[in-house]
Amino acid sequence: MLKKRLIPCLFLKNGFLVRSQGFNEHQLLGNAIHQVERFNAWEVDELIYIDITRDDHYDIRRDDMKVKSESDILKILEAVSKTCFMPLTFGGRIRTLQDIYDRISRGADKVTINTQALADPTFITESSMVFGSQAIVVSIDVKLNANGEYEVYSHHGQQPTGLHPVAWAKQAEQYGAGEIFLNSIDRDGMANGYDTALIRQVAEAVSIPVIACGGVGQFKHLAQGINDGLADAVAAGNIFHFTELSGKRARKELLKAGIHVRN
Amino acid sequence: MQYCTRCVYPSISAVPLGFDENGVCTGCRAHDQKKTIDWAERAEWIKEIADEYRVTDGSNYDCIIPVSGGKDSWYQTWYAKEVLGLNPLLVTYNSNNYLQVGLRNLKRMREVFGVDHHFFTPSPQTLIKLNRLCFKKMGDMNWHAHCGIFTYPVQVAVKYRIPLIIWGEHGYTDLGGMFSMNDLIEMTAKFRLEHAQRGYDWFDMLDREEGEEEGLQARDLLWARYPSDDELEEIEVRGIYLGNFVNWDGNEQTELMKKFGFEESPVPFDRTYRRVSNLDDMHENGIHDYLKFVKFGYGRASDHACKDIRSGKMTREEGVEMVRKYDHVKPRDLLRWLQYVGMSEAEFDAIADTFRDSRVWQKNSSGEWTKENIWGTPSAYPVPSLTESNIEWSEFQKQAVPQ
Ligand SMILES: [Zn+2]
Repeated sequence: MLKKRLIPCLFLKNGFLVRSQGFNEHQLLGNAIHQVERFNAWEVDELIYIDITRDDHYDIRRDDMKVKSESDILKILEAVSKTCFMPLTFGGRIRTLQDIYDRISRGADKVTINTQALADPTFITESSMVFGSQAIVVSIDVKLNANGEYEVYSHHGQQPTGLHPVAWAKQAEQYGAGEIFLNSIDRDGMANGYDTALIRQVAEAVSIPVIACGGVGQFKHLAQGINDGLADAVAAGNIFHFTELSGKRARKELLKAGIHVRN
Repeated sequence: MQYCTRCVYPSISAVPLGFDENGVCTGCRAHDQKKTIDWAERAEWIKEIADEYRVTDGSNYDCIIPVSGGKDSWYQTWYAKEVLGLNPLLVTYNSNNYLQVGLRNLKRMREVFGVDHHFFTPSPQTLIKLNRLCFKKMGDMNWHAHCGIFTYPVQVAVKYRIPLIIWGEHGYTDLGGMFSMNDLIEMTAKFRLEHAQRGYDWFDMLDREEGEEEGLQARDLLWARYPSDDELEEIEVRGIYLGNFVNWDGNEQTELMKKFGFEESPVPFDRTYRRVSNLDDMHENGIHDYLKFVKFGYGRASDHACKDIRSGKMTREEGVEMVRKYDHVKPRDLLRWLQYVGMSEAEFDAIADTFRDSRVWQKNSSGEWTKENIWGTPSAYPVPSLTESNIEWSEFQKQAVPQ
C-alpha cells in the first residue's frame, strides 16, 4: 500500500506569507523563507508553495532583516529552493510553458496550474508532455454555489466556471494531469475540518492522486481527509503556523489514527 | 503611505499589517474580534490547561513565567498564582539597562506574590559588544534583549524540565493583527527568530564583517542558543499566550496591579506619554524606539495611541496629537548609551541614517530628511545634536541603576 503524504502549504501574497480565510482575507505572517526552514527540520513529506499575488508587487516593506526583501517571484523561488530539501511544488500565476520552465529550472519539482488549465485544458497536455505528468498538478478551487451545488472557481476563487469539480477533475486527468490539488474556498481558514464529501467524490472519480486542502483546524482533521475523504495526501496551510513542532505533531496524529505515513 | 482610518498605524511599519476596503488595519480588526469572543469559556480553557500541567506531588514547578517586572509580568504572575493556583518559576533576562523603578517593581512583585525567581544577566562586556554590533548590523542595539527574553526562559524550561511557559500577549497579533484570536497560537522558534530577532541568530554575531569586528565567541553566547527541536520535543515544551484566554486590557490591568503595589515611572519618558511601559530597559522607549522612527517614520507614541484608541481611551484626533508631539523626539538616553558603548553622536547619526526607508524618507534641497505625516502635510525632521546642545542628563539616567 502506498504511503499517505502530509503536505504543508504556504501561501505567498505580495512577498509575505499569509494566513488565508475564504480566499479573500489575508493576514500577514512574515517573510517567504523562515517557515520553509522549519518544515525542513520537521521532515514533512512535501511542500506546496503557492503565489497568490494578484498584481506584480512583491515587497516585505522592511530592510533591517537578515532575509532581505526580494521584489521578484523567481528570486523568491530561488531562495525557497535553496532552503527546501523536500519535494517542492510551486504554483500560482502560471500561464505558459516558459513559466513552468522558469520554476522547474529554479528548483521546483512540480507546479500547480489552475486558471490557465481552465482557460485552455490542452495546456495540461502540453505541459505534461514537456515536463512529465508527474510534474503537473492541477489545482481545483471549489465553492458551493447559490444552488447549493459544488462549482469550480478560477482566478483566485473569484470567477465561477459552471464546472462541477468531479467532471473537471476527470477531464484534467484525461488531459494529462499527474495529481489533483483540491481546495475548498468555503472551508479555507474556517478550521472546522475538510469537506470530506467533496474530497471523496473527486477521489473516487479519478485514479491519479488527490491532495486534500482547506479547513484543517485540528490535527485530527488530517486523518479524516484520508479515512473519510479517501485522499492520497493531506495538505493544510494556516494550522502549521500556530504551534511549535506543528509538522511533527501532525504526523504523530496521523500515525495515531493508524494511517500509513512515513515515520 | 497609507494610515489606518481608525487608529494611527502607517502601512510601512515594523509589524506586518494589511488594510481592508475601508482602510481599517488588521490590528483594529483583531481588536474587534476580541469583542465577539466568549471570554468566560476561554477562562475555562486555560483552567483545563493549568490542570493538565499542575504537578501534584510537589516535585517540580508547574510552569515558567518569563518576566521583566513590568505591568504585564505582574498580571501574568497574579493570574497564574491567584486565579489558576499554579506554582510558577519566574525567569528574567536582564538587559543590564533597568531603570530603578523597574527594578523596584521586579523585587516587589516576587514579594507581593510570594514566588521563586530566576534572574539571569549575561556578561556586561558581551552586552556592550552586542549593543554596538547589532546597531550596525540591523539598526537595533537591543537585539540581545529580544533574543534573551525569548530564548533564556525556554532554556530554563528545558533544563528544569518544566514544559509549560505562560507568555503575556502575542504582540504582533495585538498590534498588527497577525493572527486570528481563534488560532490560539503558541510561541514558536520561528516567531523568535523571524520576528523577535529579525532572522539573526546567535551565530550571526560571530561574523567578522568589515566594521563589525567585536570578537564575540560561541562561549559568550550560550544563553542565546534556543533549545533544539529534539530537546523541545522530549519534554513537549509549550508556550501559551495568556492574551488568548483573557480579554487583555493593558490599562485596566495596570490599575489592578497598582493596587498590589506596581509603580509607574515617577518621571515622563521623552518619546511617549505612557509611564507604565518598558520600565525594565531605559533604552526601549528611548533610542531603541527612536531607531524605529528613523527607519519607518513612526514610534512608540503611535503604538501606544493605537492601543488606547482601540480600547476607547483616546480619540483618533488625540492619538494624532500624540504622534505629532512624540514620534520624532531624539531621546536623551542616547547620551548614556553613547558612553556605555563608546561611540560619538555623529557616528551614531551616520549609521542610523543608513537604515532610513526610502519609501518613507526623502531629502529636501537643504539636505534635511522629510516625510509625509498622518495629519496631511509633509515636514522636515532635522537631526539635532544632543551633545552640542549640552542637554542635561535626563531624570531617567539619574535614576538608572549605576552600571
Ligand atoms: Zn488600525
